[in-house]
Amino acid sequence: MSYTVSEEGNIATVHLDGEIDMDVTEKAKEVIFPHIDAGKEVHLNLSKVQYMDSSGISVLIESHQKALEKNTKVIIKEVSKSVLKVIMMAKLEQILNLE
Amino acid sequence: MSELAHTNHTEKKDFLVRSSSLKDVRSFCREVFEKLHIDQNLKDELVLAIAEAAQNIVKHAYKDSPNTEDKMVVQISCKDNKLQIGFYDMGTPVDPGKVKHREIDNVKPGGLGTFFIQQIMDAVEFKDGKKPWINHLVLTKQL
Repeated sequence: MSYTVSEEGNIATVHLDGEIDMDVTEKAKEVIFPHIDAGKEVHLNLSKVQYMDSSGISVLIESHQKALEKNTKVIIKEVSKSVLKVIMMAKLEQILNLE
Repeated sequence: MSELAHTNHTEKKDFLVRSSSLKDVRSFCREVFEKLHIDQNLKDELVLAIAEAAQNIVKHAYKDSPNTEDKMVVQISCKDNKLQIGFYDMGTPVDPGKVKHREIDNVKPGGLGTFFIQQIMDAVEFKDGKKPWINHLVLTKQL
């Protein structure tokens, strides 16, 4: 998994690239969580993530819940078809902020 | 079901029981399913189910042995349009009665891997592992 982060005002945009599985979840959290902890709105772009398993889904849930605690939000953008299918299988499309 | 699929076919491969092996498990599965001409949608689902089962071995059967040198075996067989995926490991014995996914409406991190497996596969069965194996999981799917 690779990533890029850009910041503008109170928004941190995180682009993840690659496959998100148990092996990279800690790295994903290290990339995403500090921005949430800082109270930023996080835009998580998943257009280049072609595979995500339950561990990756857990990162999305944890990010979402952490953001609620910090009175901010995580918006998932440009989710790929294959990842959207997994999100829907987990019945999270109404819970997570998808754009 | 793919029209060209499903000549009788068996392949197996072993993998170190590590989270870093999961991408190799997925690559192996994709290669085999390519040979079986399984269509992309089903292939994605099957790869997810298999990777979740392999992840469960790493995460649960070897919870206390993260640096093990043990290997797990994944065997994919297709016979008469029935796909059977076997997993063999030498980790902590699994109590099938305790293998449960979380309530899907109770949204929290974790507990989804088994749910995905059950959603995708037709049957999930733990069999007695024959020596040297401790656990033998079999997933089946009618193609």
